Parts: sequence; structure tokens; C-alpha cells
Amino acid sequence: MSAASLPAPDTVCGSTHCITCGDDGEPMVVLKVDDELGLAVCGGDDGERSTVEIALIDLVSPGDRLLVHAGTAIARLDAEGAIAQT
Amino acid sequence: MKFVDEFRDAELGRALAGEILSLVEPGRHYKFMEVCGGHTHSIYKYGVDDLLPANVELVHGPGCPVCVIPMGRVDDGIAIAHNDGVIFTCFGDMMRVPGSEGSLLEAKAAGADIRMVYSPLDALRIARENPDREVVFFAIGFETTAPSTALTLKRARMEKLENFSVMCSHVTIVPPLKALLESPDLRLDGFIGPGHVSTIVGARPFEFIPADYGKPVAIAGFEPLDILQAIVMILKQLEEGRCEVENEYKRVVPYEGNLKALEVMGEVFELRPHFEWRGLGFISHSGLKLSAAYADLDAELRFNVPGVRVADPKACQCGEVLKGVIKPWECKVFGTGCTPERPIGTCMVSSEGACAAYYNYGRFAREREVV
Repeated sequence: MSAASLPAPDTVCGSTHCITCGDDGEPMVVLKVDDELGLAVCGGDDGERSTVEIALIDLVSPGDRLLVHAGTAIARLDAEGAIAQT
Repeated sequence: MKFVDEFRDAELGRALAGEILSLVEPGRHYKFMEVCGGHTHSIYKYGVDDLLPANVELVHGPGCPVCVIPMGRVDDGIAIAHNDGVIFTCFGDMMRVPGSEGSLLEAKAAGADIRMVYSPLDALRIARENPDREVVFFAIGFETTAPSTALTLKRARMEKLENFSVMCSHVTIVPPLKALLESPDLRLDGFIGPGHVSTIVGARPFEFIPADYGKPVAIAGFEPLDILQAIVMILKQLEEGRCEVENEYKRVVPYEGNLKALEVMGEVFELRPHFEWRGLGFISHSGLKLSAAYADLDAELRFNVPGVRVADPKACQCGEVLKGVIKPWECKVFGTGCTPERPIGTCMVSSEGACAAYYNYGRFAREREVV
């Protein structure tokens, strides 16, 4: 593949801002929790669903808002979007 | 959207810009470093620097984890990826970082099985689905991302997945800041502290900056008003003769950080004696490797890697950009030999890189400054 045909960053990461490469977090809502596996299915503001590691957050329940980075919840957000508890 | 829309409010932004203007002393030049690549991206995307007085300069720091990966590490990753039966996984931007003989994306085109993932959990799933293949995850990132890798390694251990390993290139934020503060060619008046790194490590690790170097710090979120408010906080500290770590991003950053994340990082990782940063050279205790308890999941021990240091291309001035000594457009090859489509240096690869962010969003500002 020639260098000229390399895709630009936005086409590689699917957006103009790569949340996994940057120090970025995405607010997501918990849809379903698997306590045994320590994982949750979460939905983003864009409607996309993904499996999220929830080991860093206590007592996660459906409806909770989490700040997710690279597939891991790093903070719990309250209904207003601010941090509630880590 | 709560905590998004109001932090992009144009009227509030103009009010903060006015406050900044009232706080600056005429004739004094202010240099503030935004540590995080996410901030750099937001500054250019929303034109934050256009709202600042001419004597307030934002210097873009080394906080893009892709931009600081040296060419030799890319070569090591490609060498692992070329092993028979290996599936090599990494984040999207990392695939485009040039090594000495091409990027991971070019290695993929040449036949290596290299796959983009959005999280280490995705890499683990690939390992589960391919028990007869060796799956390697190229782990990069600051303390924001390291807990995710640590938890994935714990999960691999729990599931007894023997075909999964990690090439650990995680870095820590404090040592490069110390190196920059010791740098004789860089004079800074304050720091806009990283947002989500601080969600993990808290505000405490940055206290050495005011204590030892007499520079104010304001930890900031990523919306344009977050960044403007952080600049107001730093200017107020300077005006009032205070020097401390303030937290503009309290809605997400607790003072103590995330203790569970710090605990799991302590279990899975240990500090490398030194780690090479692109443009900054070797910095002591600035990189993470897998701890002895997880050494069997260390890809660098499982596979042969060249481990050869490769000098950055001569034309590339990423080092000076990362240190804030020159602006992206002052690099000899910016926008000509080096573009996001054909990057020479890593700062042009990642969307968080100062050069790519400036290239994508900064044309108007550049034209204004040229005029």
C-alpha cells in the first residue's frame, strides 16, 4: 500500500476524535449488567451499544450513567452528568 | 445535552474571553501548556485560541499517547505481528504511526494479521474466538487507558487464556512534565492539567508543579468553556500571587482519583527504569511494563523483538513541537512533506496530535497570524 492511499485519521477511528487514543471519556447509560462477569451493556448518546468493564465502579445498575474510556468505566456520573462516585 | 451544550455556549465563552482580557497585564507574555492531546484537539476544533488576547499563548504538551511512541517501538510491534499465527491488535491511530520501515497499516497490507480494536476487551474477545492463534494487544496510553489494559490482563488470567499477551507501551504523565519543567529552552507560566488522566490519578500528583517549580495548575475538562475557565483560574492565581493545583473539572475529577483503578494498576504493572519518548528522549520511570506476576502475558518476553532504538527522521521536528518550542506550522515539513495522509512524524498522525489538530482546524488562525 502506498503512503498516499493511507486513510486519514477520521476514517481509521470512525470519527474526527479518537476516544481511545486521546485522554477522552464517553458518557454512557447502563442498559444491562452481568454481575458474574463484571460487565455491562451500555448505550452511548449516539445510540451505539458496547460491552463495558465495570470493575472500577461500585454497584452498577441499569440506568446509571458512566464515563467510559477504552471500554472501561472510569467514573460514575450523576443524572446531571457530573461525577457521583468512583 | 447536560454538561455539553452549556459548556459550548458562545455567549458564556465571550464573557470568559472578556474576563481573560481583564486579567492579563499589558506587556506581559503568558505561556500556558495544555498537557493533554484532547485539549489540543478541542482548542483547535472550537477555535479557543482565537478568543485569547495576543499575549496569551497556548503551548501544546506531550499528552497525546500516540505522538510520543518512538519509531523503535513501532518496529517492535511490526516484528511481533509478522510472526506466524499472530493476530496483532491496536487502537486505530496507532496503525498509522511510521516505523523505520513503514507503519502497522502497511505491514497489514503486506500480509500481517493486524486488526484495529476499540478497547483491550475487544482484543481479548478475538483471543477467545481464535484459540489456535496468538493474540497480542499493543497497549498505549496514559493513566486513563492503563486500568483498562490491567483489568483485561486480570480477566485473561482468570479465564486462563494462554494465547493472549500485551505489548505494554503505557506511559505516565508526571515524569515528562518534570522533564519539561527542567528543560532550559522552555519557559511556562502555568499548566492546564489533563482531564481524564486526573479522573484516575486525582489532583494530588500535580502538586509538585506549584510546590517545586512555582507554576499554577488548573485541571480542565474538554469543552471550550472548560479550557477558557481554566485559563481564567491560572491568570487569577498569577494576579493574586497564589500558586496551587485547582480543579476546574470537579464534575468528573475527584481529588483522590479512582482508588480501585490505581490499585489494579499497581498489581498488574511496574515502572520501567526508563522509557523512550519521541522527541523527548529517555525519561526515567515514565513507562509501564507488566509486573512479575503477569510476566507470562508480556508479549515482549513471549516473542523476539528487535528492541532497537531508531532515530526520528531528520526532517521531523516533532520533538520541538512536543516540547512546545516551536508551533506545528513552524516545522520545516508541516503541511508539505508531512500531512495527515502522509505523516512523517507522529504529531501528524493522531487526531490529538498538535500538528494534525492544527492542520485540520487551524488554517484560519495561521492565515491571521501570517497577515
